[in-house]
Amino acid sequence: MKIMDQRKAVILCVDDEDNPLVLRKLVLQKAGYEVLTANSGKQALELTASRSVDLVLSDHLMPGMNGTELAQQIKAQHPNLPVILISGVNELPAGSAHANAFVSKIEGPQALCKEVAAILNLPFENCENC
Amino acid sequence: MSSHEPVNILMVDDQPGKLLSYEAILGPLREKLVKANSGREALEYLLKTDIAVVLMDVSMPDIDGFQLADMIREHPRFQKTAIIFISAVHLSDVDRLKGYERGAVDYISVPVIPELLRAKVSVFAELYRKTQQLEKLNRELERRVAERTEELRESESQFRSLANSIPQLAWMTNPDGAIFWYNQRWYDYTGTTFEEVRGWGWKVLHHPDHLDEVIRKFQRCLTTGEPWEDTFPLRGKDSNYRWFLSRALPIRDVNGKIVRWFGTNTDITDRKQAEEALVKSERLAAMGRLAGIIAHEINNPLEAISNAFYLLRDHPSLDEEARYYSKLAEEELARVAHITKQTLSFYRESQQAIALSLADVLDNVIELQSRNLHVNSIALDKRFQTPGKIQGYPGELKQVFLNIIGNAIQAMPNGGRLRIRLREATGRSSGSSGRRGVRVSICDTGMGIQPEHAKRLFEPFFSTKEAKGTGLGLWISKGIIQKYEGTIRFRSIKLAGHNATCFSVFIPTAAATQPTEIAALVA
Repeated sequence: MKIMDQRKAVILCVDDEDNPLVLRKLVLQKAGYEVLTANSGKQALELTASRSVDLVLSDHLMPGMNGTELAQQIKAQHPNLPVILISGVNELPAGSAHANAFVSKIEGPQALCKEVAAILNLPFENCENC
Repeated sequence: MSSHEPVNILMVDDQPGKLLSYEAILGPLREKLVKANSGREALEYLLKTDIAVVLMDVSMPDIDGFQLADMIREHPRFQKTAIIFISAVHLSDVDRLKGYERGAVDYISVPVIPELLRAKVSVFAELYRKTQQLEKLNRELERRVAERTEELRESESQFRSLANSIPQLAWMTNPDGAIFWYNQRWYDYTGTTFEEVRGWGWKVLHHPDHLDEVIRKFQRCLTTGEPWEDTFPLRGKDSNYRWFLSRALPIRDVNGKIVRWFGTNTDITDRKQAEEALVKSERLAAMGRLAGIIAHEINNPLEAISNAFYLLRDHPSLDEEARYYSKLAEEELARVAHITKQTLSFYRESQQAIALSLADVLDNVIELQSRNLHVNSIALDKRFQTPGKIQGYPGELKQVFLNIIGNAIQAMPNGGRLRIRLREATGRSSGSSGRRGVRVSICDTGMGIQPEHAKRLFEPFFSTKEAKGTGLGLWISKGIIQKYEGTIRFRSIKLAGHNATCFSVFIPTAAATQPTEIAALVA
């Protein structure tokens, strides 16, 4: 994935819980990304339709549409938009193949940043402060 | 036999006149009178027919009476035949004794008194008839006894072949419970002899934990006459116990009195094990679900807190002291993350299995443990005979070997030897039997595994490390290896005061890699 150097990559964070969502957003902002947030899959789809987004980072277990379903719908509409699922579950859920990567919450912020950088095809060193 | 069936009376005399007079005297007895003119002729009759009484003259020309008596007596058939001597000359007591020695039963002197002769012959004829009747009855009785014996033998042989053909162990007791018979399967299973287990000798085959209860229940049934049923382990000739469902029924005579008990023991070990395995697998599945729920519930807040401390780490508003507290909190948090990752997270780090080398995985684990090996003065003996290429997920395999090697190191706090081998092998257990694959063996000279812990080693929440362990490491390792259709097993032996514990992990080479290998060979 080529990202224009002139602007920051835009990441859409999706989680039904506010605290984790805000903290994840701050971590990614600290890593130098521009971050949008959504509280549900439905809201996330609206945002990807209306805004330019470089990557979607979504929680898996959410009421209504879960992470893998969201990934499937995003891929249907934006086949080139990468999706990373993040979860506290200990087994890969069915349908996780729709996402580009599956990250465990337990790996911590640095591992998350590393995965995001890898998917965006950015060298990890580029994310200052990571 | 009718009361008067004529018997043969042999009269021997060389003078036909005397024979005629005897015939006249004995005629009224209505017996069959046979006349012989000489000893020789008499013998011919004797050999041809049954003779009840022999009446003979002592003095005859060719063979005299005494000689004839000797010859008659020699034949076993005539040892009891009555012989009456008739003697014309005066008989001395010596002569009489001579006659008795030859088995004569009576003497009659000449002149013969007809009534006396008739009476004597009549008595012996009657005696013979009675003896014959008795013998006939005896023979009949013997025949019937033989018939019944044969019937019994047949029915017993049928019973025995039935008793030996059933899959159960079977036995019979006296009314007091003392066993007097076991079927062949009993001996085949227990390896005992009848002498060892007769009566109550079977007690030695029972497990001491169960014996008292078994006897108590059995004796209660002996008293009440109620059918007996119990379940207990019995020791086989290989010294292993197997579980048996045992039943006994009282056998009663026509009056309802218990004459014996017939009992069987049915081997239910496999059924019991299957039930236990089912319970165990259900428990494991439940544990797995629980672990998943716990993992999820811990991991979610853990991520948020980790992120929060990560943001706090270099925050400009913090002074030195606050940063120090934050750093401590972050370190402790890392421990929580580590333990949940070690124990509750099964997730696979990559979505597809990749070609990997177990040698690399092991080297990586050894590198991680190098400090611990050094601190505990443990000598490492590592030999990899193959790179151990398999398809898999490096992270979870690392977790398996980190667990086993970590345990090995913890088992040697005062130093020792750690031997790690990697080689190509063929599967030995039922699931992977004959399959090609790789085997990793990890042996330590540590404190060993207590036999009572051995069975529970792979159970969740089983730990010998008290507060230090979660008791999930080996359980999770086993789960991971099973996903590879592999096996994980261990052996702990004590030799000359030294312990050795070996864990052996077998992973079948994935089928998908075979064509590649063949292709490589062809190329």
